[in-house]
Amino acid sequence: MNKLRIGFLLVLTLLAGLAHADRLDDIKKAGVLRIAAFDSNPPFGFIDPTTKQTVGLDVDYGKAFADKLGVKLEILSTNPANRIPLLTSNKVDLVLANFTITDERAKQVNFSIPYFASGQQFIAKKGVLKSPDQLNSLRIGVDKGTTNEIVLREKYPSATLVAYDDTPFAFTALRNGNVQAITQDGPKLIGLLANVPDKENYEIPPFSISDDLIGVGIPKGETALTEFVNETLRELEANGQAQKIYDAWFGPHTKTPLARIYKIGDKS
Amino acid sequence: MLFDSLLAPKYLGWLLDGFVVTVVLSALTCASATALGFVLCLGRIARSPFWSLPVRFFLSLFRNTPLLVQLFFWYFGAAALMPESVLHWLNQPHHWRLPLFGVTWPPFEYVAGFFGLTLYTAAFIAEEFRAGVQGVPPGQARAALALGLRRYQVWLSVIMPQAVRISLPPLLGQYMNAVKNSSLTMAIGLAELSYASRQVETETFKTFQAFGIATLLYIGLIVLIELAGQWIQHRQPAH
Amino acid sequence: MNLDVITDHLDYFLVGAYPHGPLGGAALTLILSVLSALVSGVLGFILGIALAVTRGFAQTSLLLVLSFFRAIPVIMLIFWTYFMLPIVFGINVPGIATVVIALSLIGGAYLAHSVYAGIRSLRQGQWQAAAALGLRPWQVLRYVILPQALPIMTPSFINQWVALIKDTSLAYVIGVGELSFVATQVSNREMVYPTEIFLFVALLYYAICSTLEFFANRVARRYQQAT
Repeated sequence: MNKLRIGFLLVLTLLAGLAHADRLDDIKKAGVLRIAAFDSNPPFGFIDPTTKQTVGLDVDYGKAFADKLGVKLEILSTNPANRIPLLTSNKVDLVLANFTITDERAKQVNFSIPYFASGQQFIAKKGVLKSPDQLNSLRIGVDKGTTNEIVLREKYPSATLVAYDDTPFAFTALRNGNVQAITQDGPKLIGLLANVPDKENYEIPPFSISDDLIGVGIPKGETALTEFVNETLRELEANGQAQKIYDAWFGPHTKTPLARIYKIGDKS
Repeated sequence: MLFDSLLAPKYLGWLLDGFVVTVVLSALTCASATALGFVLCLGRIARSPFWSLPVRFFLSLFRNTPLLVQLFFWYFGAAALMPESVLHWLNQPHHWRLPLFGVTWPPFEYVAGFFGLTLYTAAFIAEEFRAGVQGVPPGQARAALALGLRRYQVWLSVIMPQAVRISLPPLLGQYMNAVKNSSLTMAIGLAELSYASRQVETETFKTFQAFGIATLLYIGLIVLIELAGQWIQHRQPAH
Repeated sequence: MNLDVITDHLDYFLVGAYPHGPLGGAALTLILSVLSALVSGVLGFILGIALAVTRGFAQTSLLLVLSFFRAIPVIMLIFWTYFMLPIVFGINVPGIATVVIALSLIGGAYLAHSVYAGIRSLRQGQWQAAAALGLRPWQVLRYVILPQALPIMTPSFINQWVALIKDTSLAYVIGVGELSFVATQVSNREMVYPTEIFLFVALLYYAICSTLEFFANRVARRYQQAT
């Protein structure tokens, strides 16, 4: 009788497991959280030259999720264009790579509540770019697979766009004069410029052409995982951890001091 | 989500634009690489080491390093070596009006992509030509010289026609490689077919359609070269 | 020229983050090359022999499949294997395996033709004579045909393997940390030394490829003298 009951229970749990088989359970079972992060975009995600590990603001959030789950964190390097394919092809559980939330993308992937906010800005050689009106007549370097490219094409249809695999490639093209400006989210550009040896020759003109909210990319339909990420993000804000992460990369004593204009929960 | 619909005409247009760039880039590459490959082949088989040694070095260097790295070098690296004025000229739009049509100097990624592809392809074509020349039995040249023909005549009317016939199939193989290799120029921002497929994928998220159509176009182009090759070989007189 | 950027990151170029992280850089390039060379060689032999022993419909379909892999650009096949196989068939292929599979399929398709051509270059009479001696078909292949065909095929194998080594650089598009990928990573971080970095990386590839070519040619020459 007892054996039968145990067997019955076992079958039930198996069935339940099948019915509810979701990514969150898989992660816990596997003991590994796989995230995709940038490897060339300080301070969001980049390789630390001494430790050779991927570090950055996005990685710190990834660590917080893994810690809360009590699992190991595995980081896959991505460029902007690979972010959505990595999620839809099940290579990673979360994308933490300065991922702008858009309605179009939300049809393909789930997004968490925003954990960062920025706007699309530009870097140009000093004195070249003064107002957005000039954009229509310039050759502008963008990153493949970003909203920056789509926004720019919509708002400034006469601008010539050249798409590269990642922002530093675009910057090298700018430096060589192949393009006259490059575009990306403001904080990412600040992070990039902070590491350029001759940064005095370049500037980030003080205008932005869009307001972007950055979220965690989650595979489509993974409700439990989305819930978990949202809940964790709110917790991190409530216990001050989010502020700490921000200060570690954008605080007043960093290479890229930037006032924090957005707190998790300000927008949903 | 995957197979639900085809691409909107706008995106098919992007892919077609990319395809046209791929066709033009490959055609220009093949033409100039054949010419350069021929010259390199002459240098390679020259008796004097003054010619053959540098050519040997060039060939081995360009054949034994990845095209992707070569393209990165030409686009990102070589630009940094150029004098400011040259670089400035290269990056400016230029337009020449000729009697019948205008010529526009293309943006630098096109120049670097074409240049890199041509050097790479020429290194392979030179070796195919050399194999063709070596495939002609040496006795023929001696016989022709004995008949009183001059050296250039021997080359022009005895060796070359046979060498070209021998190296034609591998040459077409190199042309096919040039088409496929042109896909790597997407990494330096050249808007060819692979680049276009990635753009379409970014905007529509229809990965399957975007890559599928691009792949079909590549295969179609390769098949065309294959057919053209068979046609040429059938036309050649049998012997 | 600033060579410090090379020496400072030399270990990263050579082995990636190893031993504090996964093996990468030139070491990973070597591993990818060796694996793809082995698999493509085996595939090439099996498919080439299959081409030689099949006729009609089977041979035509095999030829069609092979032409597909000879016609598709490597970069496209890598995208397909990495991103599309999981979506279409639910098979998850990790990055390193993707590269080995894609390169082996393409290399194998080319080698199959070389093996087939090598086998066909021998006169038909050899098959008949060996069969008359009472050898089974696979024995004819093993003891009569292949030993003669191998020296003919060797140059294609060497060329194909050099091509494989170079093509491992395309693993860069899916973020596999081989030599080209770590090179772009360093170049992206240091920003102002693309010339030095890509020259150095080209030289590393050159060293790997020409070493293979050198030794393969020596082995081939000895082999040809022996027969």
